[in-house]
This record gives sequence, C-alpha cells and structure tokens, in this order.
Amino acid sequence: MSDDMTSAMPSPRTTSRDSLKNSGSAPQGGGAGNGGASLRGSRVRPGDLIFRSLSTGSAIFIMVILAGVALFLIIQGIPAIVADWTTDPSLNEGFTLAYDNFWQYVGPLLFGTLFSSAIALVIGAPIGIGIALFISHYAPRRVAGFLGYIVDLLAAVPSVVFGLWGIIVIRPFLLPFSEWLNTNLGWIPLFGGQVSATGSTILAGSVVLSVMILPIITSISREIFLQTPRLHEEAALALGATRWEMIRLAVFPYAKSGIVSATLLGLGRALGETMAIAMIISPAILVSIRLITEGENSQTIAANIALNFPIASTLQRQALIGTGLMLFVISLAVNIIARYIVTRGSAGGGGKKRNRPTLPITPMSDTSATTTLDIVTEEQKLGRIAVNSRAEGASV
Amino acid sequence: MTKLDSVRASTGPSALLKGNTLKFKNVAATTGLVVAAAIALAGCSSTATPAASSTPTTAAVDYSALFGTITAGGSSAQANAQAAWSTAFTAQAKNVVVNYDKSQGSGGGVTNWTAGSYDFAGSDSPLKAEQQTAAATLCGPTGAINLPIYLDGVAIIFNLPGVTNLNLTADTLAKIFSLKITTWNDPAIVAENPTATLPTTAITTVTRSDGSGTTATFTKYLSQTAPSVWTSAPGSAWPIAGTSAQKGTAGIVSAVTTSVGTIGYADHSAIAKLTSASIETAKGTYSPFSVDGTSAAFAAAASKATSTVAGDLAQTVDYTKITGADMYAIPLVSYGILCTTFKTPAQATLAKGYLGFIASATGQSVAAKNAGSAQIPASLLAEIQTSLALVK
Repeated sequence: MSDDMTSAMPSPRTTSRDSLKNSGSAPQGGGAGNGGASLRGSRVRPGDLIFRSLSTGSAIFIMVILAGVALFLIIQGIPAIVADWTTDPSLNEGFTLAYDNFWQYVGPLLFGTLFSSAIALVIGAPIGIGIALFISHYAPRRVAGFLGYIVDLLAAVPSVVFGLWGIIVIRPFLLPFSEWLNTNLGWIPLFGGQVSATGSTILAGSVVLSVMILPIITSISREIFLQTPRLHEEAALALGATRWEMIRLAVFPYAKSGIVSATLLGLGRALGETMAIAMIISPAILVSIRLITEGENSQTIAANIALNFPIASTLQRQALIGTGLMLFVISLAVNIIARYIVTRGSAGGGGKKRNRPTLPITPMSDTSATTTLDIVTEEQKLGRIAVNSRAEGASV
Repeated sequence: MTKLDSVRASTGPSALLKGNTLKFKNVAATTGLVVAAAIALAGCSSTATPAASSTPTTAAVDYSALFGTITAGGSSAQANAQAAWSTAFTAQAKNVVVNYDKSQGSGGGVTNWTAGSYDFAGSDSPLKAEQQTAAATLCGPTGAINLPIYLDGVAIIFNLPGVTNLNLTADTLAKIFSLKITTWNDPAIVAENPTATLPTTAITTVTRSDGSGTTATFTKYLSQTAPSVWTSAPGSAWPIAGTSAQKGTAGIVSAVTTSVGTIGYADHSAIAKLTSASIETAKGTYSPFSVDGTSAAFAAAASKATSTVAGDLAQTVDYTKITGADMYAIPLVSYGILCTTFKTPAQATLAKGYLGFIASATGQSVAAKNAGSAQIPASLLAEIQTSLALVK
C-alpha cells in the first residue's frame, strides 16, 4: 500500500512544481512547460532518487515500528492473559490478588478509560468546536491568529503540569459544585453516593482531560471550517441568512465529517492520558458511573499501568502490558472509525460533496483541472498547494 | 553561613602555618565542614551547635582521595536523606558525584540495579529470594547484601481543625483504615480521646494509589498488631477499595493538608507542618513520633533475618515487640542494596566510601537534621561497617 502510494504521489507534485518553476523563471508558453516536464521525466535525477527512497524508507519505518509495538504488546501480554489467575502465586498477591482472570481485571479498567474520556469529550468537544468557529468565522483576523496560537500552545503544556493544576486548582474549585449536585440532583446515579472530601473525583479528572484535548479538536476543526467554499457561504448570506444560519447551512454540513474526526482524535488523546489522571483521580478498579465520590472512580488503563508498574512482579508486569494491548486495540479502533467516517463523509455523500471544493468558484480552483496552463500566477498556485497540503494534513 | 566561614577562616590559615600538626587539623577541618554543611542544609538554624565534633569517631575517614561518579536510585522515602547525604559527602569527597534517582521507587530501583545501571539500589524492602537469584548474574556467586541505612517512622497524619493531638490504638487505626469506623465521633475514637472535640463528620481515609514501601510497612504493622481487625495480607499495594487513593507521598500529604476530616499515612520526613497522631505502645500510653522513640522501637523490634549471603543485614521487624512507653509504634526501615563483588574495584571503593559515610554517626545525624528522619542504632551501624568491609 505504501509502495503504490509513494509511486503515485511524486508525479503530480513534480509536474506542478516544475511547471511552477517554469512559469516563474522563463516566459515560455504552456506547451514548452509541458514538454520540459515530460523531458525531465525521462532521465532520473539523483536528488529525486534520494528523496524518494528517503520518504519511502520513512513510510516503511513507521509501519515497522507500529507492527513492532503491536508484536511486543502481544508477545508480552499473552502469558498473563492465558495464565490461571486463581492459582498462580505471583498473581495472587498485590494489585492482582482479587481477580480470577485477566478479563475480570481489564474489564473495569476498560470501562473507566472509556467513561472518563467520554465525559471529557462531552465537556471538551463543544467548547473546542466553539473556539474553532470563533477563530474561523467570528474573530477579527488579528485576534483569530493570536487565539489560534494560544490554543496550540496549550498542546505544549506537559501533562504533569495539568496534573498539578488539577490537584491545586480544579479539585477545590469543583468541591462546592459537587456538593450542590449531590444535594439537588443526587437521585441521578451520576451524582449519587458519598461526596468526595478531597475532590479527587473522576469529574475533576475529566474536566482537566477536556482542557487537554481542546488543542486537537480546535486546530483540526478550525482548518476544516476555513476550507468551507467561499461561494457557499456567500450564497447563504446572499439569500438573507444571518451569520449563524450561514454557519448552520454552509459550514457545518461541509465540515461534519471533519468535526467527527477531530472529536475522535481528541478521544484518542484522552484515552491514552496517564499522568494527569494518575495524579488527580482517586482510583478504584470497579465499574461505577458515579462522578463525584471518593472511592468509586473507575481507574483508567494508562494510569493503572503507571501506578503499578514499579512494584509489579514479572507476570504482573505482563498483565499490565496485556491491559496496554487492550488500550492499543481501542485506540486503533477509534482511529479506524474516525478514518471511516471521514472517508464516508467525502465519498459516501456522493460525488456531490467531493465536487464542492472544486467548483469553479475562483481562479484558484480552476488550477486543479488545468495545472500546467500558464493562466494562473505563481502566487495563486502556491496558495492552491498550501490548501491542498492543509486538506491532506487535516484528514490524517 | 557565618559559622561555615568562621570554621574555614580559623582552620584554613592555621593549618597552613603549622605544617607539623596538619594531620590533626585535617580531621578537625573535615569534621567542621560536615557540621557546617549540615547547619547550612538545615537552613542556617542558629541553635545548632557543632556538638558532633566531640564524637569524631567515624568522621576521621578521609574521603578526599575518592574520584568518580556513584549512580544509584530507588526508594523515594530515602530521597530527602540521600540529598542531604550526597551534599555532605561531596563536600568532603570533592571529586565524587553522587546521582540518586528517586523517580523509580523501590521496585524500579531494584530492577535497574539488577540490570547493572546502578552501583546500589535504595529499597524499602530487602531482596526477595527470586530477586537475590536474579542478582547473581550481576554480582557473581557471592551475591548481594541488604544494608539498613535509613530509618524513619510512618506518621499518621490527620486534618481536624481544633484537634491538635489524636490518640489511637492499633485496633482503632486498623478499623479506620479498613473503613469499619466511618465517623470521627465513633465511640472507639472518643474513648481514646476524651478531651478532644471530635466532629460528627465522615472520615476520609487517604491511602496510596501507587505501590509503595510505606504502604508495605504500614499494612504489615496493622496485620501484626491488630490481626483480628486487619485481615488483608500486607503488601506494597493498598488492599482495601473505597478509600481516597492518591499518587505518591506528596499526593497523600497534599490531600490531607487541603481537606478537612481526612486521615492518612506518610513517611514522617515528608509530612511538613501536618500534625501526626500518637499511637498506643504500652497499655494506656500514647506516644507521638520522635527520632529517639523510633530508634528505640527499631532496636527493640528488629532482628537480623536469616540469609545465606555473608554480611547480609536484612531485618525482620516484629511490631508486637514495640511495647515501651517511649517508643514510636511504626518504624520504617529502608535499605541500600549492593553486590559484595563489584565489576571494578574502583567502583567498589567509591560505593563503600559513600555507604560507609551514610552508616556513620555523622551521616545519620545529617539525615536526621535535614530530612527529619530517625537514626539507625549504633550497634547496627557497626555491623554495617563490618559488612561493607567485605565488599570488594
């Protein structure tokens, strides 16, 4: 798959680059530019060869790494997954004592991982999409640039810092709120139970998680909102739509699959988060949907590995790696679903959707059909390439 | 700092002038330096007097010829003491660098040491039989020895506004931590604290979420002294669900500090300004944590565990033997684990020098002053020095 990708990719790129160079440097006709490209194609330049093998090598390398990780998880995890947890002496002590088999141990952990991430998404996704919309459609250009920069900066904050922030700020901040929820809405199972005194609840952890996934959701949905065809927006406005109606009619339908994939990528980030969760939440290995208790917070897989790895015996370590394998499978599934939704969004919606961005709106989109004609300026072509690469980056 | 300067000023020139008495002056100077360093570390406390110079029996060792880097890691309980030790030691052995990695925890420390990354491991529990077997590939047939280098107490910390002293028996402690007592005004607690005004609120029991030597010591104490109440097996992972589980000693201390109605356990050197409970040792006598009380308790309760390795000083602590009125109930011991035969003799000399300094009266008092830990009894220190002599 990687092979035919790489062999297919370079040709259009080289052509467009070459013709671009031509149009910039020599005032030749379109035909000459075309001829030049095909002429160069006949003799291979060393630079082309080196770059092609380098990029092919990188693509193969990442596949090998991924396969290696999966293989490591499977080989290391299998002994604990198939072991008899009721009789094995090294599994009958410490943190694996109370479980009869691997699935009994990993079940609550899986639940906790998905539950905390789901709450984080419920809180974080609307905010992230809101920020993206503000940046792309509401804010003045200068504010938008600055705000986008700030949100991206959030991604650079180490998770241990988020953990400390959660302990010192978010925990006490949420305490009165938790008590209010328990007194007034305690009949809802989510808010039942004995309210935490320290604030180390799954709610506090999820709130911090939701902040941590903001940058991913915001930056991806922002890029997609920006790609909404200008003609659609202007058409909606021309028909008398307000700004909100324009967004609802033109932007959201176009960006729907992008929003979903951004959200799922945010989910992927939340699933794997370790340090902040380990620091903030008071965990227990059980299935509970209570949000504001002290001792009934479902533990997540990643935090559980971090907390127990140093004291684990060999087989217990393999059990932890086995839970890691489950996390790997879930993350993979989430990413595959995200991909599926994105591809279905662009292809399954019929040719209609795919055609939208290439409607002859501006001279820019004309170039997709007639790349080598010299009717476009270099600047416009650069802009076109930038949009293309952005679209590719966003769909990854 | 003025003391440090004056020590330097007084010994420096006189040593230069009177070359004949250099030997004595060197000893005096090194002793002075250690004390000065200790004072400097203690935050320039003006009350500290250089009394250690009156007992310079172990400080007479000259470390200045040592050269190289000591790499170690493991137990985070030892972290504060290791920091104080390495500062005081490198003040004397100027060409030595000591790196102690506390991020690994006891288990990680032993794993890394077995893999050959460390000169010695810091661990809250001595090597198990299978770990000793695994260490044979690193240490050869002579094996590895456990040296008890660090002693402290497990403090029971609580947060009850208006209550400055809390008296607890082992049984009550076990009931609180196994969640059988759930409110502060429970009759059992009231009976032990007749004068305190205890609130009606729920008790939040704070425990460790990660594996820890402190947990192992505390659960062992509970299972030995309150066997009828505490039925869970002792171990480094907290066995009872439903508590507030926090990551690391710092997590427990932070949760207890900020939340009213909490009770938790932590290495005494890490509890900062929190008050810790007094625990019943002799019938009707509740003794608070004290450095001397912990040393006395350890001396009474610890005995050398049987070991096939010559020089191994792994200890078995029997908490039921801690019955003196002046003893603290829960001593915590932590080990330095090293090979008796190093790969290179030079590295052995280095490690012996550093651990020898730790297991000296000076080293122990440096830790007591700066980390707030207790001191290993003198008789055991002498045994450690004998064991270190076997290392080559």
